[in-house]
Amino acid sequence: MSETPIVATHDVSRVFTQGKIEVRALDGVSVEIHAGEFLAFTGPSGSGKTTLLNLIGALDTPTSGRVELEGKDLASMGRSARSHIRRDRIGFVFQAYNLIPVFTAFENAEMVVRLQGVSEEERTARVNKLLADVGLEGLEDRRPDELSGGQQQRVAIARALATQPAIVLADEPTANVDSGTADTLLDLMQKLNEERGATFLFSTHDPRVMERAKRVVRLVDGRVDSDERRTP
Amino acid sequence: MFDRKLIALAWRNLWRNRRRTLITLFGIAFGSMLAVLATGIGDSSYASMIDRAAEMSSGHVTVQHPEFVDLPSATKTVENAEAAAAEARSLPQVRAAVVRQQGSVMLATARQSSGTYYIGIDPEQETPATLETLEQVVDGEMFPTASGGGIVLGEALAENLGAKLGKRVVYTVTDKQGEIVSGLARVRGIVRTGIRSVDASLCYLPLDTVRETLGYGPAEATTVAVFVEDNRQSDATAAALAAKLGTTQEGGPAVLTWKESQPQLRAFIDMKVNGTLILEAIIMLLLAAGIFNSLFVSVMERLREFGIMLAIGFTTAQLFALVMWESLFLAVSGLLAAVVVTAAPYYHLSTTGIDTAQMYEGGVEVAGVGMDAVIYCRIYPESVAAMVVIIVLATLVAGLYPAWRAGRVQPAIAIKEL
Repeated sequence: MSETPIVATHDVSRVFTQGKIEVRALDGVSVEIHAGEFLAFTGPSGSGKTTLLNLIGALDTPTSGRVELEGKDLASMGRSARSHIRRDRIGFVFQAYNLIPVFTAFENAEMVVRLQGVSEEERTARVNKLLADVGLEGLEDRRPDELSGGQQQRVAIARALATQPAIVLADEPTANVDSGTADTLLDLMQKLNEERGATFLFSTHDPRVMERAKRVVRLVDGRVDSDERRTP
Repeated sequence: MFDRKLIALAWRNLWRNRRRTLITLFGIAFGSMLAVLATGIGDSSYASMIDRAAEMSSGHVTVQHPEFVDLPSATKTVENAEAAAAEARSLPQVRAAVVRQQGSVMLATARQSSGTYYIGIDPEQETPATLETLEQVVDGEMFPTASGGGIVLGEALAENLGAKLGKRVVYTVTDKQGEIVSGLARVRGIVRTGIRSVDASLCYLPLDTVRETLGYGPAEATTVAVFVEDNRQSDATAAALAAKLGTTQEGGPAVLTWKESQPQLRAFIDMKVNGTLILEAIIMLLLAAGIFNSLFVSVMERLREFGIMLAIGFTTAQLFALVMWESLFLAVSGLLAAVVVTAAPYYHLSTTGIDTAQMYEGGVEVAGVGMDAVIYCRIYPESVAAMVVIIVLATLVAGLYPAWRAGRVQPAIAIKEL
């Protein structure tokens, strides 16, 4: 594991205002994440898991504190620079697959690579390899409505990895699939972590994810309650 | 912005809600059809009126004494009208140029008298393309030469005067010296245009005979009527002819377009054109509102998707471009649908037209010009081009706000909320 963290949060707080009420979703969270980690943020509902993932993913900015990705302060970046960081350095896997419905599996995985300006030859090879790796060989031309939930989530994983990101953020990736599919997806992500060195950060309630995670950070009321590293 | 896949995505997005898209396309097609037919009927009717007015008086372009248009008088003449006509004929866009004498006349028979406006013509110079009434002589014939006797009257005027074929008519005019002079002619022909008010005023006399009565020189006349293939060439033709005739010189003739020589007709057409423009503006506004509604609903339904797209690396500008491409595809598809919807009614109206003869018995006259009983729809290519540009622009403008809205989605909120 590298000594320089890919992600570092420094005393991060995020306060949301709902009407006249202020809700402190995160309260002084400091955490360092290194390349190759397979980390799960856990905790009860409302503990701040998704909020923290959104901040690390440059989807949101902290009320106070600093979030650094590869040493760069995300909050100091403009909207466009954050878009490019998300495109080039972060992969997202969402709870509800969130594929573009009019694109095929291949097109969904390929689109962002295309936006990166990667040559057609390279991105075709890369995306086909990834789709094969996630077990979707032969289903490249199917649209999301022709795929099962598990297959759609595999496309989402392939899409997240196709841009060769520094880190993959997965928000409850097993929440919408049956347990068999959840195990298969976790096997797949674990394999990608071990074989490709891909860094995965999960926000999850799922005990199966926690069992496989090499590090589990438990959040309670927006604070880090525990940070447990596991050795295989 | 011009990524092939982004453009393909826009096209596919357009058909995600097929029913809504088809309804919007029908709106564009139907609105465009209304605009095309209204404009086409206008273009065709006004062209026909201008051509008729040109035939019945002084051409699309007129060479006259500079003061004649404001103070029509037998003393305001073009000294060498025949030479001016010859110069006009040498211009490539001119299909005919004829010399005519115009003025007020008092006609009298043994029973009645009536004041009207006469045109002295040379029937050997005139053709049905310059004077349609040559083909509208329903009784008798047009006098054969410019120097013979005879008078040709509109049917209603002849009835008012009690002047039948072969009867004598005394015509009284003011000559070049301001003296009242008279001539005698026998009714040689009766003309029926179908428009009673026009037929109550038509009076044709042989050009050379009138010249003699007025004391004019052999090439002198009040008017050189120049005819072009298309009335839209009038301005350019007038400018070219003015240059040839040296109209800037002191005492030289004036070269006027039909807009200057027939101000009443111009005012009428301007008024109608403005009315059509207002109608088109309303149609375009309704179209834009329909397109805006369709695009806006489509964007609002996809806020979560836009949030995801922003999250995975699309930029605000790319989402803006995506919706603008959808908007453009809507416009282009709408125009194609408009061609399909408009083709049949346009073909019918451009070939068969609408016969208003029974609706307007006795014909319709505007600004002294009889209108054709059959209304055709023949749109000018430049009107079509303008309409296409306006529809595309209206669609793009209607897409601006939805496109901006798509790019302003906060991904964290959009993903969480929906």
